[in-house]
Amino acid sequence: MVLHGNNSTISEDEAALYDRQIRLWGLDAQKRLRASNVLVIGACGLGAEVIKNLVLAGVNSLKIVDHRSVTEADSYSNFFVPHDSEEKNVALASLERVQNLNPMVNVTAEALEISQICDNYLSQFSVVCVCGGSKEEISNLNNKCREFGILFFAGEVYGMHGYFFEDLIDHSYVEEVKAKVETGKSDEKESSEETKMVKRQESFIPFSTAIDIDWTSQKYGTRLKRTTPSLFILNVLHEFSFLHKRRPDPSRREEDEIELLTIKNSLLDKLSVPQGKLSNDFVKSIFGQVSPICAVVGGVLGQEIIKAVSGKDAPLNNFFFFSPDDGAGVVENFGY
Amino acid sequence: MAIHINGVFNNNLINSIKSCKVLVVGAGGIGCELLKNLVLTGFEDIEVIDLDTIDVSNLNRQFLFQKQHVGKSKSQVARESALRFNPKSNIVSYHDSIISPEYGVSFYKRFTLVMNALDNRTARNHVNRMCLAANIPLIESGSSGYLGQVTVIQKGLTECYECQPKPVQKTFPGCTIRNTPSEPIHCIVWSKHLFNQLFGETDDDEDVSPDAADPEQVGEAGKNALASESNDKGNVNRVSTRMWASSRNYDPKKIFHKLFHDDIQYLLSMDKLWQKRRPPIPLKWDDFIEDESCTSSKDDLIKDQRPWSLAHCREVFSKSIDDLKKKLNALKEGDHLVWDKDDDSSMDFVTACSNIRAYIFGIQQKTRFDVKSMAGNIIPAIATTNAIVAGLIVLQGIKILQEKMNECKTIYLNRKPNPRKRLLVPCVLDKPNPKCYVCSEKPEVAVQLNVEEMTVKTLEEKVLKGGLNMVAPDAVVDGTGTILISSEPGETDANNDKILKDFNIIDGTRLSCDDFLQNYNLLVTILHSKEVEGEFKIVGDHEKLKKEQEEAFNKKEQNGKAETAVPGGSKDGFASIVDDDDDLVCLDDSDVRIEEAKKRKSEPEPSEVSKTKKIKLDSEHEIISI
Repeated sequence: MVLHGNNSTISEDEAALYDRQIRLWGLDAQKRLRASNVLVIGACGLGAEVIKNLVLAGVNSLKIVDHRSVTEADSYSNFFVPHDSEEKNVALASLERVQNLNPMVNVTAEALEISQICDNYLSQFSVVCVCGGSKEEISNLNNKCREFGILFFAGEVYGMHGYFFEDLIDHSYVEEVKAKVETGKSDEKESSEETKMVKRQESFIPFSTAIDIDWTSQKYGTRLKRTTPSLFILNVLHEFSFLHKRRPDPSRREEDEIELLTIKNSLLDKLSVPQGKLSNDFVKSIFGQVSPICAVVGGVLGQEIIKAVSGKDAPLNNFFFFSPDDGAGVVENFGY
Repeated sequence: MAIHINGVFNNNLINSIKSCKVLVVGAGGIGCELLKNLVLTGFEDIEVIDLDTIDVSNLNRQFLFQKQHVGKSKSQVARESALRFNPKSNIVSYHDSIISPEYGVSFYKRFTLVMNALDNRTARNHVNRMCLAANIPLIESGSSGYLGQVTVIQKGLTECYECQPKPVQKTFPGCTIRNTPSEPIHCIVWSKHLFNQLFGETDDDEDVSPDAADPEQVGEAGKNALASESNDKGNVNRVSTRMWASSRNYDPKKIFHKLFHDDIQYLLSMDKLWQKRRPPIPLKWDDFIEDESCTSSKDDLIKDQRPWSLAHCREVFSKSIDDLKKKLNALKEGDHLVWDKDDDSSMDFVTACSNIRAYIFGIQQKTRFDVKSMAGNIIPAIATTNAIVAGLIVLQGIKILQEKMNECKTIYLNRKPNPRKRLLVPCVLDKPNPKCYVCSEKPEVAVQLNVEEMTVKTLEEKVLKGGLNMVAPDAVVDGTGTILISSEPGETDANNDKILKDFNIIDGTRLSCDDFLQNYNLLVTILHSKEVEGEFKIVGDHEKLKKEQEEAFNKKEQNGKAETAVPGGSKDGFASIVDDDDDLVCLDDSDVRIEEAKKRKSEPEPSEVSKTKKIKLDSEHEIISI
């Protein structure tokens, strides 16, 4: 295995491999990228997309963690899992193909539950991305990451729907700004556009603060109309997972659809959100993990992680939702 | 995951996906991602075509390929890799150009869906016509850096790829390149032309010698000229650059002297050019001494990003000429080299020449890294954008299979959320342009050209093939029935060098043109004009449309910029601007354009149906290439 060099110099091999992206985001961003150590929890369809995008981009190291054994569904959503690996651990089964993507990245895998991840373990990473997980698990992990100053991401794909959340704590980044510059003497002014790098700062809030919204408050009451219904799908699925300790199951589709609608009705009432805000049709399209949706959400999420570690470009603060009905990808800013 | 797990999709959709036969055109950045999504979703009958082979610079995003695959066929390796994700799928791969005559209308008719994952306009135009002719839905896509877009084309229902005029290639006036360069790009273009003059296919439009017919110097042409007479077109007579260099055995020192001293002296003699410009400084081989400055400093940069000293440029100039001479001599008599950004001597030559010329004219010098971007027309592509685009393609495909054509959208991936918080922006599909010269019922177009000068061959190559994107046209003069151009090899060769006037083609003459492969008939009205910019101009409704769009845009510009802070691809310049780098060989190397800010239609928020007014957004996106 040929790993990235230790020092700050990008080798000529790396320059050749990463040529196109260096042309896009620059050498500095590439250097920061290859100094980053990423933990991806959840080797599901979405996790596989995030892993692919980060290993290709050239992070220093990436660890895959999942406690589950491979199911048939995994082999059709996590494309790193070979088709003959049922009953193996899904993270370990993914390892070889992930490493093949880019021999310069130090890729490891481990069979662990989210609850087993201790502070010491976390502190070796600069980025944590959890794919799946309950609301409570996400919140706890997010809070721990805050203590260590670790960039935190959480996302999931439900059928044709998907979302992710990010918490970069206090994040500084540079951004290209185009400015008109006037050159030449006063009588022959020529104006040309010049790109300048501007330093910016952005503060984030943790998942626990962002996800629980008081829709009866004046601030959010008026925002409700413009809020994507996808948020309420996420609320319903979190509640489902809290009550049943599992995701909706395609093989129990009929009963789960009924249960989801029951949850939706009581939840929206509890939140004082009109039932019409979320059409009941959503239950038809939230089973499994549909691959093209993993690609879309994992693509945007992967790019957010690249932006965050490279300290370049404005991050999305703080939710992204993908809706399959019209193909819109909406960025919401909740909890502020 | 999708059809393999019961309960994810309903049975109708499962059956539609299972029986769907899909053609993927291109196995590059978007194509690799697309194949993965298709086999995982459960598409079992896939054919993929790509003429390209794998390069090391593909590996950061084309994840079906690894280092050991470099040099192999993209479509074949992509097929093998994708099959491992779903061994139940059937994938047929073709290592071939989609424009090849083997892939006629009957080939397309075998498919339920065609998905484009291309990187060049020529191939997109062609597949567009083939899908119209075969009446098969086409999902078109493109990516450029952080930006991407996907749309659906269905004959009679939506705009086709060619319904809206595409921005034309950015070209530079000949005298800017030859006489008065003022930007690095001018020197780079000149150096590429020089490469072709010396080693490549020579083109009269690519002369590199001083142009004595510069309009700024009119009346004084060559008055103080140092040497040689100029011919009637203003070119200094020097046999040909190739013969000149060849007769001197490609001696770097002599070539250097000619290009960077004598020719510059000649330019200086055209004194009017320098009244308001900094005059160039002629350079001799021994004018500067050896130094080592290019190696030691700036260690943290990659090699190509380190600036070159003039002495280093001279050294590279000399070495690359020797290398290229050897390569040229190894070819058969009459054969020539083809400039390639990935060939080291070709890149070295252009970097050295453009930097020496830049120095002479007091223009900022560029690193080899930057020269490669500009000379090679590299549009950087990244994995994430391609993944998103490919996901959206399959999403549109699923909508079509569900017979929800009305829910299909053009979707843009922006760099930042727009004012309505959208990073992925869906827009309604536009209706076909009734005047489109490709998809309307009776396609017609008017072309302005000079019938007293244009040859039949130029009409075929530049107008019908280059401008109107035909592959193998037949052309008959309307009324007289004279066969002007035949797609049967050799049949009308005798006409090639004759001018159009010889066939009684005058202002208003109509040509009935036909492309058998594309199943495309086009009535071309000739508009005679002695003063056409370039050799010809496609006018008529096409042009009118473009003007209206520009006016609409300018109006919008004046009406305030409330929404201008939205970067993103543009519908009008669709996909012509969003190319996935060099994933497929660019048929037109100079597929160049400066993309101006564009407008676009955005869909109303469902909850705001009362305001169905279409909001137009401006794009800041700009791509500059050569």
